[in-house]
Amino acid sequence: MFDNVIQLLPEIWLALGQTALMVGISVGCALLFGTPLGVILYLTDVGQLWENPVLFRVLNYVVNVVRSFPFIILLVALIPLTRWLLGTTIGPVAAAVPLSVAAIPYFARLVEQSIREVPKGVIEAAVSMGATTPQIIRRVLLVEARSGLVLATTVVTISFLSNSAMAGVVGGGGIGDLAIRYGYYRFETDVMVAMIIILILLVQIFQFIGNRLARLVDKR
Amino acid sequence: MIVLQEVSKVFKTPRGAFQAVHPTSLFVDEGDIYGIIGFSGAGKSTLLRLVNLIERPTSGTVIVNGQNLTSLSSGELREARRKIGMIFQHFHLIANRTVAENVEFPLAIAGVPKAKRRERVRECLRIVGLEDKLDSYPSQLSGGQKQRVAIARALANHPKVLLCDEPTSALDPQTTRSILEFLKEINRRFGVTILLVTHEMNVVREICNKVAVMEQGRLVEKFNLREGSIRPTTEIARLLFELPAAEEKTQAYV
Repeated sequence: MFDNVIQLLPEIWLALGQTALMVGISVGCALLFGTPLGVILYLTDVGQLWENPVLFRVLNYVVNVVRSFPFIILLVALIPLTRWLLGTTIGPVAAAVPLSVAAIPYFARLVEQSIREVPKGVIEAAVSMGATTPQIIRRVLLVEARSGLVLATTVVTISFLSNSAMAGVVGGGGIGDLAIRYGYYRFETDVMVAMIIILILLVQIFQFIGNRLARLVDKR
Repeated sequence: MIVLQEVSKVFKTPRGAFQAVHPTSLFVDEGDIYGIIGFSGAGKSTLLRLVNLIERPTSGTVIVNGQNLTSLSSGELREARRKIGMIFQHFHLIANRTVAENVEFPLAIAGVPKAKRRERVRECLRIVGLEDKLDSYPSQLSGGQKQRVAIARALANHPKVLLCDEPTSALDPQTTRSILEFLKEINRRFGVTILLVTHEMNVVREICNKVAVMEQGRLVEKFNLREGSIRPTTEIARLLFELPAAEEKTQAYV
């Protein structure tokens, strides 16, 4: 029944690698740039340590705008940016550009939400001990919010595993692209089914690891 | 030593300005255990938070350990805060850090070398009798134990002054007594001046040598509890000083 799948095995491995690359880069960028962005969003809001209504409103607006784009449109809209950055618009690395652009504000919003859960009193206690704001970020906010941050990373990973399926549109390759090209365009239903099974398994695994890890680091 | 000179605090709310503390002066001498008592909403906690400038006074001067805090730069203020310990009604420990790491926190942010930190952490936990809980997490402790960790944390940087914001209000009477014992001992052994806010008269009776009564943002009366008999003149002070005594009497009958 899965004859086509077996024939396609080398391509499937390649697609898996491409998916891993796209998800890896975008989630990596989300962690690297989204975390500080989320922290700044939190800190510049009214009543927080770096209260700055103008900066908060600007960042808040930018995050909302990027998140408003249906991903498929962002993918196309950012083609000039990708070409300017990488000189090409084809391949998984090129597809990782719009993926990252979408992932950063998404993760920032989740970071901001997680940090909001940190009791204000704990932050105040740190202030009363003479902590600087960077010290509070590193030693209080990120520490107390860490299980939320792990879950946020899980959510972003799964969302962008799904988004990476659309990357086929700009020649990004990956599992989703394979499913569309073979499963849909060539009516090889078994390939489609196999790809979906792979995606389901990946999502289950990510969520399982995320939940475990979140529980492990949560000492509250 | 704490000197408050005509400090006030006005909060801006959507419904206009709210005067939490009217211009108030207070002198807490070295070695005092000074209580501020009043009902909830009287502005006690706000007044206490003006002392280490967690809340910036709208007007007035705050002098702690001979230093005018209201005139310091933010860096100097952080430095000064290290010598002002503070504990809270709800402890405010870092839940994802062990007891030892919580006590280490003020030392770490003050840049104390690691080896010294460990030593001091043990010392402070020994003072509050929790040396065996070094590696526990706050969630594994009782309320009284959490407050003891908070006290150890407040002591880590050798403060001269300890601010206590309703330190026993979340605790049962027995635990309250043990926490008050620790505070008394810290005051005696290390000469730490304590300024304590509470709504419980028995806390004042148990450990304070001076007390001020607060109502609607004003200190309406001050007493030296070591000086003979206390004759409250304001309604509120009479209520606070006489009501609990009446309660005790009824308890004696039961």
